[in-house]
Amino acid sequence: MRRLTDTAAEAAFREQLRTWLEENAPSIDKHDVGGLKDWQRRLYQAGWLGLTWPSEYGGQGLGFREQAIYNEEAARAKVPPSINNIALMIAGPALIAVGSEEQKRRYLRPMLTAEEIWCQGFSEPNAGSDLAALQTRATSDGDDYIVTGQKIWTSNSLIADYIWLLVRTDPSAPRHKGITALIVDMHSPGVTVKPLRQLTGEAEFGEVFFDEVRVPKANRVGAENRGWIIGMKTFTRERANISINLSVRLQQQFDRLLAGVRGREIPLDPQEAREVAKAYADSRCLTLTCERLASRLFGFESSVVKVAWAEMNQHLQEIGLATLGPDAPLLPGRGYGREEGETSTWGTDALAGEDESFDKSWQYGYLRSRANTIEGGTSEILRTVIAERVLGLPRK
Amino acid sequence: MDFSLNEDQILLRDSARDFLREEWPVAELRRMLDAADAAPAAAAIWSKMAEMGWPALLFSEENEGFGLGMFDLAVLMEETGRSLIPGTLHSSGVLAAAALETLAGEHAQRRYVPGIAEGAKKATVGIYEPGSGWTPMMLRTLSAGVIAKRYVPDAADADLILFVNRTSGNDVQLAVAREAEVRDLQSMDLTRPVYQVSCRAEDLDPIGGGTVADLQAVIDKATIALAAEMVGGAARVLEMTVDYVKSRKQFGRAIGTFQAVQHKAADMLIGIEKGRTAVHYAAAVADEQPQKLAEAASIAKSIANTTFVQASQAAVQLHGGLGFTWEQDLHLYLKRAKACEFTYGNTNWHLDRIAHCLGLS
Repeated sequence: MRRLTDTAAEAAFREQLRTWLEENAPSIDKHDVGGLKDWQRRLYQAGWLGLTWPSEYGGQGLGFREQAIYNEEAARAKVPPSINNIALMIAGPALIAVGSEEQKRRYLRPMLTAEEIWCQGFSEPNAGSDLAALQTRATSDGDDYIVTGQKIWTSNSLIADYIWLLVRTDPSAPRHKGITALIVDMHSPGVTVKPLRQLTGEAEFGEVFFDEVRVPKANRVGAENRGWIIGMKTFTRERANISINLSVRLQQQFDRLLAGVRGREIPLDPQEAREVAKAYADSRCLTLTCERLASRLFGFESSVVKVAWAEMNQHLQEIGLATLGPDAPLLPGRGYGREEGETSTWGTDALAGEDESFDKSWQYGYLRSRANTIEGGTSEILRTVIAERVLGLPRK
Repeated sequence: MDFSLNEDQILLRDSARDFLREEWPVAELRRMLDAADAAPAAAAIWSKMAEMGWPALLFSEENEGFGLGMFDLAVLMEETGRSLIPGTLHSSGVLAAAALETLAGEHAQRRYVPGIAEGAKKATVGIYEPGSGWTPMMLRTLSAGVIAKRYVPDAADADLILFVNRTSGNDVQLAVAREAEVRDLQSMDLTRPVYQVSCRAEDLDPIGGGTVADLQAVIDKATIALAAEMVGGAARVLEMTVDYVKSRKQFGRAIGTFQAVQHKAADMLIGIEKGRTAVHYAAAVADEQPQKLAEAASIAKSIANTTFVQASQAAVQLHGGLGFTWEQDLHLYLKRAKACEFTYGNTNWHLDRIAHCLGLS
């Protein structure tokens, strides 16, 4: 039933959460891994994480509405993002959908408490958008697999305890039919991680090398050679969660833009004011679209909002940067001054803030946003997904 | 927030779609456009819509209407927009209904509303004037002589022509134009003619009034209904395009397998989902949070403009040479899209208003 406001129960949940966040939200540097883990654990203990996860695995067993309220309030309170985002947004939901009972009992709760940090090993140097070309091999050896190969663009790999991995178990089968999903301990002998420095200067992601890494078969998710469908389910959840979480932040970014232009000595010219108005209309509409399509977002429709979100955020960052006038290309704070290889965590990009650090500037936001149309599925691939899977156009 | 339709709204949508598929296929529209006199066909579909009760939806129950909200109306108008229904439902059932409900005095409501709500009479409203743009404050102050109203929808066919005139500063008057000269302005949109209507001041019978803000609220409701029609039109051209690119073969395969084609179609869908959201939101705001009506209506119209114009342009492109022909139906949608884009404010007009709501100007 259509309504614009919270139900009484939703309003009570929101009020309780808002109060808790006001009293507890810390200020943590995004590179302080220990502090971020501690913050996530406190959030979980207070009952604000895993809202939609089943209660038997440590979740709260609530619905999408509560998750949406959490996202709004967390953005409003400008809390640090959860360091275990890959687990919370990608690996956990995928495990809930396809994992064994034993795996769910073993892995889900430590994801929520941030005791075990996760990353996702899908992309390889020769398997990006064409994921089915992946070559990392797993061969059977008694009760174990022996894994050899390389993954790339692996967010959080530098701090992760586990990796949600796709490997090839049957090289002779058709490409999509020889892939298996594994849970691999990142501390296993034979795993090495190298940071990759991004154009923002930091290293959110890395390369992960597997040199004859022994993985128990009990860590296989689903049946052998059935990993492709698991990968696809993982993707739809990833896109849906990216869109749901980050569309809320668009509002926050917009508020920041507004605060910036209202405080300016030189007022906006009419054309600039129009651009800001358009960005407002578009970002508001996108946030509302995520809510309207919520029940369909775990299907291929997630691609619709992911494409729209990515391009919207890029556009918003461009406008924000442009409001700085001739200062636009100047990097505030220490600029790229961070030591190479210093870690950062995925999902922490471009949070609004008034301080002058590079991390929170329009300059950083602009540069970081260039990844939005690449990460989690390039916009080109996603448009093909929309055309073929949502509109039903023929495949080649 | 929740945008799901209730059972009544689903019923309204589905029955409207079935009705329009049966009674107003595009072949019927084309027969009307090709006929020497379009009036009989337009009258026939209007009386069928009246039997469905559609002209009465927006009128309050005191005025023998259904008293439905803008959200219900938006659900219906998306369907009528898909079918390029002639303009009367909009001009009489939405624009005139909102003007009468908001601006007419009690006596005038009793006199005029019942016939219009039944569909026995058709009304339209003249608002804009030469030089006023889309801004009611720019209407000239009412004085003696001839008053000309522009872009008046369906005026040639109307039984009752209403004028909204600015009488002084912030005040407007609603009046019946008793003797009017009606001139067809030759709209690009063949399905929805607009007229210049001229009336001498002494031939205007005042029947109510209000403030410029009241008038703008009337226009905003009509704007949301129009935006709903636009999203429906966009959804229809996407369906036509999907069907076409699935079957049209070049280089030995369906052109829908080509990425350049697929991505244009994907963008059409993204635009439609955004447009539908913006319309549902604005309609819900009109019903629940009228203090935010201006901003929400402008969000809806600015986004629907982009949605419909881009979708219909992409549809023409993806149909190739066929899309450029008179024979193919797409041009009817393209022209509807362009005409709608410049009705009740173009994109920049609405962006300027959003900027104003945000305190940027």
